[in-house]
Amino acid sequence: MAFCIAIIGKDNAPLYLVTSDVEKELDLQYRVHAALDVVEEKCQLLGKGAPETKELYLGLLYSTETHKIYGFVTNSKIKFIIVIDSSNVALRENEVRAMFRNLHILWNDAVCNPFYIPGEQLNSKKFDRAVQKLMSGNV
Amino acid sequence: MRAAVGLMLSHGSVEPVMSRPDYEQTALHHGCLLVLLRGVGPSKPRTLQRAFEKVRRVNNIKVNDSSGATRSVWVRYIHDHPVEHNDWGDFQSHRRVLGLITIGKFENQTELNELCRQHESLKVRYGSTLYETRAIFVGPEADASNHTDGVDGTVNAHAQQQELETIGEHCNDVSTPTKPRLQDEYTTPSNFKAQAFFYREQDSCADLEPRICDFVNALFWVLESRRLERAREKPDKVSLLLAPFEKRDFVGLDMESRNNRKRCVGRVMKNLADLSLQAGLVEDSLSLYHNANETLRSVGDSLWVGACEEGLCSASAMLLYPQLHEMETLHRNASLQEAGTSPLRNMSEKWRASDATKKVNTPDANNISNNMLNNVADTRITSNSSSCSSVSSILTTNSSASGTPTTSSSSTSTISAATFGHQQRNGELPGNILKAEEITNYYRKAIINYSKYRHAAIIETEAALKATRVCIEQNRPLDVAMFLQNILYINLSMTEAERVKRFEIITELYQQIGYQRKAAFFQRLAALKHVQQGSQAPDWNQSYRLMLCSFTGYLLSLDPLEVLENAAGWPALQIDLVQSLITAARRLGHSALATRHMTFLLQTQWDNMSSTEQSEMAVQLQNLSAQCEGSPVPLVLENGTVIPPANLTDLPYCMELQVKDLPAHLRPQRIKIAKADSGPFLFTPIHLNSLDRRDKKKEKNKIAFHWVQNDLSEVSVRLRNPLPFELIITDMRLLTNGVVFESLPQTIILQPHVPTNVSLHGTPIETGQLDLQGYSTHTLGVKSNCRLKHMRGRSFPPNFLVDVIPALPRIDVKTSLPQTATFSNMNSADIVVTSASLTLYNGESASCTITITNESSTLQVEHFELNINSNVDQEVQKKIFRIDEKDLQDKLPIAPLASISFVVHIYAEADFVCPIPAASLHSTAAGGGEYGPSSLTHYSSNLSTSGHASLPSRVSSPQHRRIDPQCASFRSTMSAAQHSLATLSLQPASGTGPPSIGSQYTQHIEAQLRIKYSGGEALTAGYCRQCAVSFNLELLPSAQITSWDVLPAEIASQFYLVLDISNLTAQEMSLNYTHNKNILIEAKESCRVPIPVDRCSLEQVCAARAAEYAENMERELCFRTQLLSFSDALSKLCSTHIAERVKINWLLTGTDIQGIASLRGIVLTQAMIDLTTVSPLQWFISFQDTPVQQHGEVVCVVGQHSMLSIKLCNQSLQPLTNLELTIKFYQDYLNGIENYNLETRVAISGPNIISIPILEKHEQTQHICSVIFFTPGRFKTSIECVSRPQISTNATNDAALLTRSCPGATNLGQLETLASSQQPHLNIMLESSYDEQQTHVWKFIPPIEVTVVEQQ
Repeated sequence: MAFCIAIIGKDNAPLYLVTSDVEKELDLQYRVHAALDVVEEKCQLLGKGAPETKELYLGLLYSTETHKIYGFVTNSKIKFIIVIDSSNVALRENEVRAMFRNLHILWNDAVCNPFYIPGEQLNSKKFDRAVQKLMSGNV
Repeated sequence: MRAAVGLMLSHGSVEPVMSRPDYEQTALHHGCLLVLLRGVGPSKPRTLQRAFEKVRRVNNIKVNDSSGATRSVWVRYIHDHPVEHNDWGDFQSHRRVLGLITIGKFENQTELNELCRQHESLKVRYGSTLYETRAIFVGPEADASNHTDGVDGTVNAHAQQQELETIGEHCNDVSTPTKPRLQDEYTTPSNFKAQAFFYREQDSCADLEPRICDFVNALFWVLESRRLERAREKPDKVSLLLAPFEKRDFVGLDMESRNNRKRCVGRVMKNLADLSLQAGLVEDSLSLYHNANETLRSVGDSLWVGACEEGLCSASAMLLYPQLHEMETLHRNASLQEAGTSPLRNMSEKWRASDATKKVNTPDANNISNNMLNNVADTRITSNSSSCSSVSSILTTNSSASGTPTTSSSSTSTISAATFGHQQRNGELPGNILKAEEITNYYRKAIINYSKYRHAAIIETEAALKATRVCIEQNRPLDVAMFLQNILYINLSMTEAERVKRFEIITELYQQIGYQRKAAFFQRLAALKHVQQGSQAPDWNQSYRLMLCSFTGYLLSLDPLEVLENAAGWPALQIDLVQSLITAARRLGHSALATRHMTFLLQTQWDNMSSTEQSEMAVQLQNLSAQCEGSPVPLVLENGTVIPPANLTDLPYCMELQVKDLPAHLRPQRIKIAKADSGPFLFTPIHLNSLDRRDKKKEKNKIAFHWVQNDLSEVSVRLRNPLPFELIITDMRLLTNGVVFESLPQTIILQPHVPTNVSLHGTPIETGQLDLQGYSTHTLGVKSNCRLKHMRGRSFPPNFLVDVIPALPRIDVKTSLPQTATFSNMNSADIVVTSASLTLYNGESASCTITITNESSTLQVEHFELNINSNVDQEVQKKIFRIDEKDLQDKLPIAPLASISFVVHIYAEADFVCPIPAASLHSTAAGGGEYGPSSLTHYSSNLSTSGHASLPSRVSSPQHRRIDPQCASFRSTMSAAQHSLATLSLQPASGTGPPSIGSQYTQHIEAQLRIKYSGGEALTAGYCRQCAVSFNLELLPSAQITSWDVLPAEIASQFYLVLDISNLTAQEMSLNYTHNKNILIEAKESCRVPIPVDRCSLEQVCAARAAEYAENMERELCFRTQLLSFSDALSKLCSTHIAERVKINWLLTGTDIQGIASLRGIVLTQAMIDLTTVSPLQWFISFQDTPVQQHGEVVCVVGQHSMLSIKLCNQSLQPLTNLELTIKFYQDYLNGIENYNLETRVAISGPNIISIPILEKHEQTQHICSVIFFTPGRFKTSIECVSRPQISTNATNDAALLTRSCPGATNLGQLETLASSQQPHLNIMLESSYDEQQTHVWKFIPPIEVTVVEQQ
């Protein structure tokens, strides 16, 4: 369902990146990286809004022939990016939102690990498994 | 003719689609007159740059139209224009080329003809739309020879032109009268009908700009006429305007239907709007667009609705954002420079750095450009150039002034636009203008409309780009992103090159809004497109350039230091990008660049790579550098980009860097100089805080020691090879700054992961401060400068500062003695350069010659200082080593490469007087004698009273009895042998005492002869070097005095010192103990020798006593400690008295080894001291009224009484107290038994013990008694005087305190007074010395022998 899930720190350093296809990983990484400009822009616009009305979901960042790239930003400025197959027309935006919400919960659980140092790359088998599930769409 | 050609061309263009999008187009170009500006002819247009510039500068003119209103007419110059684009002129009139200007350079007539031909052919090509043409010819410099021909032709040509074109009369009065006119020299061909301007190559072309203005003017008027024509058309007569691809769609349709009528009218209205916009009537065009939009929308003509919407946007943008014109000018000028270093691009990056700056920037730029435009109205010609420069300066100032408070961007720009409109138009903006945010919506709608037509793809693309540019101006980056993203969706059949171009333009636009990552993404795509597989001509150069440009987007910098410092970006992408860059560089055949980038990759991404990747990259680097070695110099690309050097600072990884001091014996030291008087304050705890602290900080990396000029110095580096294979580092040397330093290259091979210590050497050539910055390596084929300040993650200072002092001489030291096998373990043994060993018998002397060679070839040794350190006492050491310093100083200075030598005299000093400590405590009580034991028991515990373990038996054995029997002892001869030789000596020193040299064991003495030397400048600077010669002396025992005694001699002025001397050597020893007496001692044997010695005089004794008093009193006064517990003074006096007089020379027979044994340190008992000193009592004894002579025989008769008169005289300087005079008779059986029980044989009248309370100085006392012998025989009389110490009384305590408190009175004089006082006994104990508290025994020797005979 999703090609790639990436988690990016508040200083735009990659914290976690997983792709469904290892061969395409670099290419997807390039795309995710390129999407950051829009994420930042949107974050800036969000920042101006009142805190209670803050929407964490950034929506579609951009889309190409093959990919749709969605963004999400947590309150601590951690960015989630999900790359989805463009051809999958059946996928609704609400489903993407749900994916982000689930990812957010997973992430929160993962960083609650006292051995995780904020700002470092995340290495967690449990998180890996959960994200893989999320990507394949069986949550 | 032109019309015919135009017809032909329009028929010929079968392709209805535009060949390629015009990526540069902006919204404002809708209102511009399109002029093709072309360089023609063979010569490169570069040489004509100035002419181009001048033409381009005329991009806006003001024209007063027929109604008197001022119109602003804009011109857009393009270089290339596909003819088929003209076909879209009906659709959007700004796509038509209206004017043509060619610029060409010629040298001769033929070239000129060619230029004319090209001009004509261009004219024909675009003939369908051209209104006007101009040709600019730049000819050769004036040539005086051939200026005559062709005048007529030119004139003719001009005449024709004037007829045809009706404009341009002014062209004849151009050239200065002095120079022949160029057009007079050369003639244009007869078929050349265009208006031409001739200029010389170096001409300033001053009139070119007005001429171009005229040209634009002409264009305007033609356009205006067309507009009016269009405006006057009757709505029901108009024909249908078509976009090129629509032609087929309308074939056979009923053009008269209501719908199509509307369509025609709408399209014509739209066309009129376009023309109005171009003619400077923006307001008119707005309303026309609105109307046309309404009309066309009602008939559902989407394409043309889109065009109307776009037109509306353009017209609005022209009013809202006139500054876009300025930006464009600036941009075009900038694009003349290298694209990569375009200032605008850099600018946009800076804008992006803080959005605030951009937002502030916009209104400012607006205002400024408004002002400028106002100026433009006045000074038309200069305005453009000045505006360019001023805008750019504004931009720079704004970009630097970031952080100013922000205002809402869109609102400010609207406001400023409003003011602008006010100034320009003297009124409000037209009411039907699109609002800023509406423009975006209209563009969106237009694009949607366009997208319905496949053939309008290019129009759509261009519209998107125009929208993008407007959005950039509005600072709406998200909309920009949206439009740009949309461009990618547009399905265009285009060549790869076109695709690349599209990516590049997208990149540029993204950069303008500061989306560096997006820009980089497309830049990389463009780069990959350039070289993608299947491409016929992969352009690696372009690919390389683009990839290099995309560095910023991935937060990479060309400088590895910067990258490492930032440590930002996505490592995976960075690695990939750099690897692609390396591939491109390699494909380019630029191996130096490939090596550089590979080095960069290894250096910056080391931490982000796995170990296998690391080693792979390292191997790759090795392969790359095999083609071109990497070196730490910046590389400059053709386009001027500088690639800074990349250094492999952590390959090998430096773990530690330590600056080494010179070897100890070469280390410079300060020559100690008398400290200058620095006032009474030696130390102050007050720090002048600020000064001090700064000093400390500065000195942090300062090395405490010095290096010496011209001396090889060392830095030790600890390196680790992080690669899994062997790493070879060649040419490793130190990197320094400051004084000249000659580094020695070093080649090392590092095993994987094993820390290795490497020493780097070098020689400072100058004096001063040396700045050690790191080291340079050459590994994996790359030369690197590894500076400490660039080594991160380790706590290295940025550099080390070492002071280099002036050159010091070096010396070589040799001794005449053999070297030692073992090295000394004395402290500062590291300065020892050579050693000498020597074995001596105690008392032996030797000498050692030391040769000093000055090794330096230029410096002489001027300063030379010797000093001996050893493990023995300073006093002893002085006796052992002796050097003639004066002689040595005379030999200085030592010239370069010369040598001197001096002698060290060595004497094997030892303590000869020392009993063998194995001695058992041979109790003196065993002696059984009356005096010996009793006197010995007085001595305190630090004296051991011991007899020799083995000696007594030998001594008593007859063959060893060499003591003269006559003076053997005053004791009974029987007991003498047993106890008289009981000896005293200091116990072997232990622990705290100074190391004394025992003589009975082999002694090892270690000594260092330390040499301090200096010369040259360093001496004046106060430095010297120190080296040392280590001496290893082995002192073997030779003769030793194991026990001693003192016996009275035959004469009272002398005594016999009886010594037991043992030969501890393994050889026979010949001992010379007095002037002429020799004795041979077998190895390990001992023998007893008597040595007559003069007694110590009373004066000396007195002096010694006085000194002792003084010392005691002083001690008491100062420290109130115990008084000396032993009568040291006297004992010492006697000891030295003996040592001075007795010297025992020994010689090992059969060898020439000889020496002197001294008796220094001999310790005497009280009884011995009494014998050693002259007796204070003088005896006058007479028997039977005849004075007794020495050895004289006294004869008396049995039964007859004889008078014995004993007279005592005190010769000493002090009174003697409490004396007891004892007279005893005994019979000596000469077999060791003395019989004192003579009650039946002899009787004495009166007491035989007489007490004398006090005997004053020089006082005499006499005792007379009669003696009667009852039996005949030989009797002996022992007369002795004993001084017994007084028993102290309780009453003396107070007095003692009293006297102690007045020490001034306690001197010898007072003693005498006290002694002569009537109650001397009261405190005499306190005042007298310890000596007086001893029991002294003085005997009259020899005992008087009385032979008693029978009565005759």
